[in-house]
Amino acid sequence: MFDRILPYLLAGISVGGQYALISVGYTMVYGILRLINFAHGDIFTAAGFFMVYITASMPMTVSVPVVIALTVALGFLLERVAYKPLRSAPRMSVMISAIGASYLLQNLMWYVTGGLAKQYPVLPWLSDNVQVFTASTKVVTIVTPILTIGLVVALVMLIKHTKIGMAMRAVSHDFETSQLMGIRINSVISMTFVIGSGLAAVGSMLYFTNYSTVTPTVGAMPGLKAFVAAVFGGIGSIPGAVIGAAVIGICENLIKAAGYTAFSDAFTFALLIIVLLFRPTGLFGEKTAEKV
Amino acid sequence: MSENVLRLENITMQFGGVVAINDLSMRIDEGEIVALIGPNGAGKTTAFNCVTGVYEPTNGAVYFHGKPIAANHPRGKMKRMYAGSDPEKFLNMQTSMTADRITKLGIARTFQNIRLFKSQTAFENVLIATHMRRTSNIFTAAFGLNYKEEKRNREKAMDLLRIVGLEDVADEKATSLPYGKQRRLEIARALATEPSLLLLDEPAAGMNPQETLDLGAFIQQIKRDFNLTVFVIEHHMDLVMGISDRIYVIEFGKLIAEGTPEEIQNNQAVIDAYLGGNDE
Amino acid sequence: MKKMSATRLIVSLAVVALLYAAAWWAETALGTNSMLITVLKKGAVYALIAVSMNLLNGFTGLFSLGQAGFMLVGAYVYAVFTIPLKRHAAVYQYYNGGIIQFELPLLVALILAGVVAALLAALVGLPVLRLKSDYLAIATLGFAEIIRAVVQWDSLGPITNGSNLLKTYPTFASTKILGTTVLFPMIVAGVCIGLILLIINSTYGRAFKAIRDDEVAAEAMGINLFKHKELAFVISCFFAGIGGALLAMFQGTVQANSFKSAMTYDILLMVVIGGMGSISGSVIASYLYIACSEWWLRFLDNEQFIGSFQVPLLRSGFRMVAFSAVIMVVVLFFRRGIMGDRELWNLRLPGRKKAGRAKQ
Repeated sequence: MFDRILPYLLAGISVGGQYALISVGYTMVYGILRLINFAHGDIFTAAGFFMVYITASMPMTVSVPVVIALTVALGFLLERVAYKPLRSAPRMSVMISAIGASYLLQNLMWYVTGGLAKQYPVLPWLSDNVQVFTASTKVVTIVTPILTIGLVVALVMLIKHTKIGMAMRAVSHDFETSQLMGIRINSVISMTFVIGSGLAAVGSMLYFTNYSTVTPTVGAMPGLKAFVAAVFGGIGSIPGAVIGAAVIGICENLIKAAGYTAFSDAFTFALLIIVLLFRPTGLFGEKTAEKV
Repeated sequence: MSENVLRLENITMQFGGVVAINDLSMRIDEGEIVALIGPNGAGKTTAFNCVTGVYEPTNGAVYFHGKPIAANHPRGKMKRMYAGSDPEKFLNMQTSMTADRITKLGIARTFQNIRLFKSQTAFENVLIATHMRRTSNIFTAAFGLNYKEEKRNREKAMDLLRIVGLEDVADEKATSLPYGKQRRLEIARALATEPSLLLLDEPAAGMNPQETLDLGAFIQQIKRDFNLTVFVIEHHMDLVMGISDRIYVIEFGKLIAEGTPEEIQNNQAVIDAYLGGNDE
Repeated sequence: MKKMSATRLIVSLAVVALLYAAAWWAETALGTNSMLITVLKKGAVYALIAVSMNLLNGFTGLFSLGQAGFMLVGAYVYAVFTIPLKRHAAVYQYYNGGIIQFELPLLVALILAGVVAALLAALVGLPVLRLKSDYLAIATLGFAEIIRAVVQWDSLGPITNGSNLLKTYPTFASTKILGTTVLFPMIVAGVCIGLILLIINSTYGRAFKAIRDDEVAAEAMGINLFKHKELAFVISCFFAGIGGALLAMFQGTVQANSFKSAMTYDILLMVVIGGMGSISGSVIASYLYIACSEWWLRFLDNEQFIGSFQVPLLRSGFRMVAFSAVIMVVVLFFRRGIMGDRELWNLRLPGRKKAGRAKQ
C-alpha cells in the first residue's frame, strides 16, 4: 500500500511546492491591488520558453540567472502596461485587463514558437534519478519542497524586516492611506510583481523539469490551481498560499493514485468552492467588513 | 395599549472588540417624529443599520409593530469577546430578516452618504423602489402584461418627484444633481416603497440654514400626507428641536438622555457631551 | 430605461428585417460556403452568447466566468438528443450505441438545451451567488471546469460519449429557411436577444441594474438580492445553453474539451469591446470579433508582398497577436467600449433636440 502511494505522495509534495512558488505571486498581488492577476500563469509559461531559447545559446550556469531576470522584466512590464493605467478604474476593468493581457501573452508565445510544443532542456543534477525508500524519482522532487520553503522564509523575512517589506504591508492594509503617508505606491507594486515573477521563474524551472514540454497554454492550469491555493490559504497570506498549494498538490496526486485522474483538476475547483462557501477568507485570511 | 411602532431592546452592536452601540433601548410611537442625536461616531448610523437589517445586532431585539425583525444574542466567537450587557436575556430568540423583508414590512430609509443608483435617472431611481410591491412575475413583466401596474408605478414615481420638487430634473442622471436635490431624491425613493416608518439619516447634511428650515417643514408635511412615523438622525439642532416630539441622545454607543426637546436642552449630561464635558 | 417611442421601435424593427433580408440575399448570391455567410452564422451564435453574458456581467453586475460551462451543457443536450437513432452505433462506438434510445425534434432539443443549462444554473447559483465580485468570478470559472470534467467522465460515456466527439446531429444545413442556412441562427439569436431586451426593459431589468449600481441601496429598496441574482443567473444561463446548442450546430461536431475557460474569456472580451450594459454593443462587437478573427485579419497569417517588398512579421500566428493587441488597447484606453451603456436605438440623432420622456 505504502509502496503504491509513495510515488504519488512524492509527486504531490513536489507539485505542491511548484504551485506554492506561483501562488505567492498571486497572493501578494491580490493583497496589494485586490486583483486576480490572470496573466501570472502566462508569465510562468514564458519563463519556460525563455529557458528553452536561452539554453540553446548559453551555458546552463548563465542561463538560469538570465531566465530569472527576463521573467522579472516581463512581470514588471506587464504591470506597467496592463495594470498601472487602470489604477483608479473599477476592479472589474482591471480584471478584464488581466484577462486581455493573458490572451496577448499566449498569442505572442504561440506566434514566436509557431504553436509547437518545445522540449524543455535537461537541467543537470535536477533531472538525475534518485531512490527514495522504494520509489525512484528525480532529484527535483526532493529539491522543490526544500527550495520552496527556503525562498518563502526569505521572502517573509524580507517583508517583516526591510523597509520595502514594511511598505508592502502598509499598502496591502490600506492603499489610500499609505499613499497619503508618502509611500511610493508604484515602486511597491512593481516590487510585488518583481518578486512574484521571480518566484514563478524558479517554479517554472522545477515544474518543467518534471513535465519536459512547454506549450503556449501550458501555464493556464497550474496558474489557476496556484490561484486556488492562494484563496484556500487565505488570499494575501504568504504562509497560507504555501500550505494551500501543498494541500492541493498532494490531494491532486492522491486522487490520481485512486484512479480518478480525470477529476484531479475538477477536485481543485470543488475544493475552492467549498472553501469559499464555508470560510470565504480562507484558512489564514482576515475578515473585512463592508462599510455602509 | 397600542404597540409601539418601533422598539429597540438592549441593542448592542460589537465589531470585534469595538462596541459601537451598548445596550440601547428605545421606542417610537405611532405618528411621532423622534430624533436620535449624538456626537460624531456615537453609533447613530449603526443603530439605523441594525433596524434596517444591514447589520445583525450582536445582542438585543428590534420590534416593529410588536413583531421581532431582528433579535440576537452573542454566539460563537462573540461569546468570548462580548463586552455589552445582558448576554443571557435573548438566548431563546433569534431572528434576522434581510433588509428587503424589513422594507417590505414598511420601514424605509435614506442614507447618510447618499446611495442613489448612479447609472439611472432621478425618475428611474424612484421607479425602482416600486418594484418591491409588484404583482407581476418575470414573464408578465417581460411581455408587458403588467402595463396597468407599470403605468400606475410611473405615475406614482412622477407624483413623488413632484412632491419633493424634482419633476423638472426627472430625466437627469441622479448623480449629476446637486447635493440637496440628491437628498430629496433619496426621500422620494424611500417614500416609493410605501413605508409606515421613515428613517432619515442626516437629511440636512450639507444644507444651508434656509434649506434646513424648508426641510423641517417638508418632513412635517410628508409625515402628515403619508401618515408616517419618522425616525431621524440629525446634527442641525435647530431642525431637531423644531420638529421632534422626543429626542434620544447617545454618546459612545450608550444612551445618555431621552426626553422632549426642552428636557434635552436643559439636560446636563447632554450639554457635557456636546461641549466636551468634564475637561472644561 | 426610457420608453422607446413608437417610431423608433418601428424603424429599429424595419432595420433588423432589412438586415435579415440582406443576409438571405447574400447567401443566395454568394453561396453557402462564402466567408461572409460563415461569419454571419457564427457571429449570430456569439452575439446571443455575448448578450446573455452581458445580462449578468453588464446589467446585474455579477462577474461570472462560467459561460463556457453552460454553453457546454447546452451543446451536449442538443447533440445527445438529436443524433439520429441509426447513427448511434457509429457515434457511441465505445459505449455500445449509448443508452439514449430516442431522438427529439430539433426545436424541442434546442429549448431543452436552454432548460437544462438553466436548471443547472439554478443549482450552482444557490451556493455561489452569495460570493462577491472576484470570488464569484473564480467560483463560476471553477464550476465550468468541473462541468467539463464530469461530462468527459467515462462512467457517463453512454450518454455523453466520454471524451469522444459527438457528431452527425442536425446542423444549420438541415434547418434551411427559404433555401438558405443563414436565417435559422440569425432568427433564433434574434428572438432570444429580443426576449432578453424585453426583460431588461421591464421592472425586473431595472431591479438588476439597481443591484449593479448599489447592492445595499437596492436591498434597502426592497429588492431581494439573492432572488434577483439567481433570476439573472438562470436567465443568462438559459440563453447561454441555447447559444451552446447553436454553436454545436454551427460546428457540426462537439467535444467537451473545446469549452475551456479561454472560450469564456473570448466572450467576455466581446462584451467589453461592445460596452458593458449595451445589448446592441454586444451584438456589434460579436460580429466584429468573429469577422476579424475569422476573416478580415486572415491576411496577417500569410506572407504578404507589396511589390517585391516582403512585409515583415507576417506569418502564422501574427493575426492573433495583432488582434489581442487591439483588444488590450480597447480595454486600456476605451474602457467604455463601442457603445458604453447606451443602445443603438436610443442614440440621439445629430441635430435633433433631446427626446423627452414618453408621455406617462
